[in-house]
Amino acid sequence: MSAPEIVFDNVSKFYGEVLGVNRVDLHIPPGITSLVGPNGSGKTTLMNLMTGLIHPNSGVIQVRGLSPYAPEKLMRILGYATQYDAGPRGATGFEFVHTGLVLFGFPKAECERRAWQAIERLGLTAAAKRKVAGYSKGMRQRIRLAQAIAHDPEVLILDEPLNGLDPLVRAETIALFRDYGANGRHVILSSHVLQEVDVFSDQVILISNGMIVAEGQIKSVREEIHEHPSQFLLHCRDASRVASLLFAEPHISEIKLAPEGAGLLVLTRNREAFAAALERIALSGIDIDGVIPTDENVDALYEYLIGGGK
Amino acid sequence: MAVYRRGYQRYDGALTSHFARLMVMPRFSWERILSQRFVVILLVVSLFWPLLCAGFIYLSNHSELWQGFGGGIKKFLAINGNFFSIFMNVQSTFALILASVAGPGLVAPDLANNALPLYFSRPLTRWDYILSRMIVLLGILSLVTIVPGLLLFGMQASIAGGDWFANNWFLGTGIFIGFTLYIAMVSLVAMASSAYVKWRVVAGALVLAFFFLLAGAAEMVNSIFRVDWASALNPTYAINAVWKGLLDVEIPEDKPGAWECATVILGLSGGLLALLARKLRAVEVVK
Repeated sequence: MSAPEIVFDNVSKFYGEVLGVNRVDLHIPPGITSLVGPNGSGKTTLMNLMTGLIHPNSGVIQVRGLSPYAPEKLMRILGYATQYDAGPRGATGFEFVHTGLVLFGFPKAECERRAWQAIERLGLTAAAKRKVAGYSKGMRQRIRLAQAIAHDPEVLILDEPLNGLDPLVRAETIALFRDYGANGRHVILSSHVLQEVDVFSDQVILISNGMIVAEGQIKSVREEIHEHPSQFLLHCRDASRVASLLFAEPHISEIKLAPEGAGLLVLTRNREAFAAALERIALSGIDIDGVIPTDENVDALYEYLIGGGK
Repeated sequence: MAVYRRGYQRYDGALTSHFARLMVMPRFSWERILSQRFVVILLVVSLFWPLLCAGFIYLSNHSELWQGFGGGIKKFLAINGNFFSIFMNVQSTFALILASVAGPGLVAPDLANNALPLYFSRPLTRWDYILSRMIVLLGILSLVTIVPGLLLFGMQASIAGGDWFANNWFLGTGIFIGFTLYIAMVSLVAMASSAYVKWRVVAGALVLAFFFLLAGAAEMVNSIFRVDWASALNPTYAINAVWKGLLDVEIPEDKPGAWECATVILGLSGGLLALLARKLRAVEVVK
């Protein structure tokens, strides 16, 4: 049985004459998927389309087989946290999460159990009886996450969920995402912190000007970008000898000595030929301690595909 | 190919009914509205007139108390459509003031706090949201309209007996339908003003202004074009005409009748509903 996916089939959304997203085709498998793109690129529009908060002008969307036009069914499996403060004035953290659960139709005892469970998971138990209005920015972010996960959704859609979180809570929150993703659920999130996206995303969707620029696992997306040479950092003791051997290879476009004698920074246009060349060098008796791709990350993809490349 | 360990299970326990979920928001709103002192005072004051009318009904049904007063008094004390029409007129004023106080706090805070995406991320539709907000006002306003109206009707029916009820049952349905139509219209006006105006005081004033301005506009059209039909555009006149129709009270022949006025009210309510639906979107679209 194939994994349940989130499918966009030729979806376009316009706000009057302003483009939201244009002809989007996506198949998002379970796991952590990060939406990456500049401000106004259409990330939030994509999220709102998935949640059915807005509807497309054309095309079809399916979220694990459910239509966003049926909120009664869809919202039972979907949790959404916006990037805005949306807590009702005067409500405590517990009331905020609890009221949301009551709207889902859970019995009273179940609502209380789930509310406390979600609050505990986000580390807000001690502050649960305090008013949300008195929370810090990071605490408000966490209580929004708590209300999004409280009903134990299969699809978690989070707009800038790491904003305002301190490093410790950030790490705990990422662990939560990983746990969700590893359980076969969808975690779709947008983030501007590209280095972090790199660390926890199973795949990325790069979006610019309302159009999908790339989607997939970071490594496979990088492999598709042929116009930019791949960068590798080689850790080796005899850097100058390795450099001279590599220069003989036709696919090598640039070699630099890495700062502080860390090795060589090599740019190649053919990753497979480069791997073969390294194998030959290693077999010839020269020690190569490590090979690290330096542009197999979202930062580089963003730079190449959206930022225009260097 | 990724292998996921599906370590979660969907909740398959009991769920509350759709109606019970609809009533969640009104429950919180009623609690908040009834904690306002002014609303409570208004509710208490609005019960004086029904109490006076109850005394009137008692007096009307005990002829021994006014036997010495001549024949005219019997006609004056008759409990008929005219009596209930006057009762509804007075109570509708309280309902309008109450709506202008309680209504503006319903939708505006949700819009100001970007809370609509939160609501719509629950198993609720936009229409569920509108309905649940309307239930708040319908509940509060029915306390000063339908409830005392039907109590008075019940009181009269129980004192006057089965014959009176058999001949006048339409007064009960008239009170119910007439007030329901009125409080639905007033609720829509209050919610629409709350959706479009952020400041509570201004939104409250707009609710009252809606009735005064349309009344003025209707009179202007009548005067300029020397017609009578524009009276139907005056919501106060229109609802009065509908009540009179329901309670079998005579309407001047040169003025628009109950059906015309009912059509205008339904059209007006439809327009207000469309305005609300246009504004109440999870994501505000700025073109």
